[in-house]
Amino acid sequence: MNGAVWSVMGRAFRRAAPPLAWYYAITLVLPVAHGAAQAGALFAEHALVVLVLPPALIVFACASREGVRMLATRARACWRRPPRHALS
Amino acid sequence: MKTRLSVLTVVILAVWGMKRYYADAGGDDLWWILKPTARLAGVMTGTAFAAAPGEGYFSRERLFLIEKSCAGINFMIAAFGMLAFALVHRAASVVSGARLLAVSVLASYVAAVLVNAVRIAIAIWLAAHPVALSTFTRAGVHRLEGIAVYFGGLMLLYELAQRFDRRAAPARSGR
Repeated sequence: MNGAVWSVMGRAFRRAAPPLAWYYAITLVLPVAHGAAQAGALFAEHALVVLVLPPALIVFACASREGVRMLATRARACWRRPPRHALS
Repeated sequence: MKTRLSVLTVVILAVWGMKRYYADAGGDDLWWILKPTARLAGVMTGTAFAAAPGEGYFSRERLFLIEKSCAGINFMIAAFGMLAFALVHRAASVVSGARLLAVSVLASYVAAVLVNAVRIAIAIWLAAHPVALSTFTRAGVHRLEGIAVYFGGLMLLYELAQRFDRRAAPARSGR
């Protein structure tokens, strides 16, 4: 992965930090504080999904957005390029 | 600074209190959020949800129950905390602090009903089209969908709040 992609990802995660933090606080931190971890493997499995899915969604949204932007840039470049017979 | 700290303290206490209330509440106690959610989900899906005392709202046609754990209270609590923290810099006086808290409660309630109704509509659609996602169990799909919709809803709400905040800032400074 090049630097530009990392920079886009970093920006996306910084932007998503408050919703992500509140989501984790309500779905993981408070239940753990109330003793949900005593449920053992059941809670651990749920917690793993809750922990992994939101960042995965951010990465997916970022990749999709960048992909669409790249395609749009290429399409625009093709559109602007004059046809060969026009150059001769 | 003092006002902002007071507002943040109230927010943290309210979050804790709402979480406690949710833990102890029964299905009937949550009518204030279950009823509008069931009505909106019913409009979205063309399904009638009827009150099931002690349980929530049930659709006989789709065999779908909107119960306590589907009420969207966790989303509402997260949205309330997130909005209040994101906009706390607007609390310059006791009045503006109180207004910020009221707006955060109202916005988080409306967002919770909307996002939860969308989540239920998608869940009903997914239940009717299980073939495409046959690698997951039904409960697994329901869980993944819930996380994706709730987190997406929080992201959207945060973006809207930021946009509103940016738009309102020049108007305030230009006064």
